[in-house]
Amino acid sequence: MAGMTMEEAQARVTCRREITKRLKEQVIGRLMLPLEPDEIAEDSPLFGSGLGLDSVDALEIVVAVESEFGVEITDEDMQAFRSINTVVDFIEAKQQEKQEEKPV
Amino acid sequence: MLNLENQVVIITGSSRGIGRAIALTFATHGCRVALNHTQVGKDIDQTRSQLEAIGADYRIFRGSVADSGFVGAMTKAVVDEWGQVDVLINNAGINRDKPAMLLSEGDWDAVVDTNLKGAFLCSKAVIKPMIQQHSGRIINISSMTAVAGREGQSNYGAAKAGMIGMTKCMARELGPYNILVNALIVGLIDTMMTKKLPRSIHADLKKIIPLGRIGEPQEVANACLFLASDLSTYITGSTINCSGGGYM
Repeated sequence: MAGMTMEEAQARVTCRREITKRLKEQVIGRLMLPLEPDEIAEDSPLFGSGLGLDSVDALEIVVAVESEFGVEITDEDMQAFRSINTVVDFIEAKQQEKQEEKPV
Repeated sequence: MLNLENQVVIITGSSRGIGRAIALTFATHGCRVALNHTQVGKDIDQTRSQLEAIGADYRIFRGSVADSGFVGAMTKAVVDEWGQVDVLINNAGINRDKPAMLLSEGDWDAVVDTNLKGAFLCSKAVIKPMIQQHSGRIINISSMTAVAGREGQSNYGAAKAGMIGMTKCMARELGPYNILVNALIVGLIDTMMTKKLPRSIHADLKKIIPLGRIGEPQEVANACLFLASDLSTYITGSTINCSGGGYM
């Protein structure tokens, strides 16, 4: 976070925390997982060994991210869907891109 | 009972034959229909004027289902305009019949690209909106050639058999989202495609069809109507024969 003021850094952390919370709520709600948001480790794999989700669940998560965060996901973006953290990184990057595209 | 009023239905390859009959049938039942075609000419003009005549809410797109860019743009236009996609009917198909020994790589690719890859690309494009809706129907128009074989159609048969495998895989993937995926195994139907077959084959085929006649495009459209409607809410991953008993 080089070049940021303390306030900007703080705002970014708060924003990331908010995205993480909303993402976890979407995953839990859409897949009806018997978990609380805090019980999902942000770095553990979403699929296979971690949360144990399968490729069918992936469809739901992709659609959830698109509609909840207003970002478009292409085939190439699928590599971002590894953990909560990597998905949050992806959402942040996409939202950043959108901000930059907006005419001043 | 059918509950199809205002449903948004995409029918590929609908400038004539079976596709046209399907488009008109769904439009008659109050659906909004989106069609695609590749060639300009009297076929699509006739389809357009027939849709106009029944006061249909329709959109026509020109492009190939084997072109992912076109398919993406068509689907986006439909969703942007109508806000949903309820039914996709993968009907677009071509044939280039030749014995395998004489079949060129180009003949193979053209038929597999349109008939199989096209169905995949269109399905892929509608899956996201259908998951959002938690409902949808995908109907794949396969052929008797896929399951019974026919001389001179190894490319067509392979593509149509591929559609059946794809139907079953997608039915499993998409069942949890209430998206039902089925295939119709269509027999000999009175269309331009079958008119090209030699007379002798027509006579032989009539002999082996228990109903003793070639089918009408409308009869295929009726089967699609059933698979898209509330009458078939517990049917997915299935192949329904619409072949007059020619295949069973």
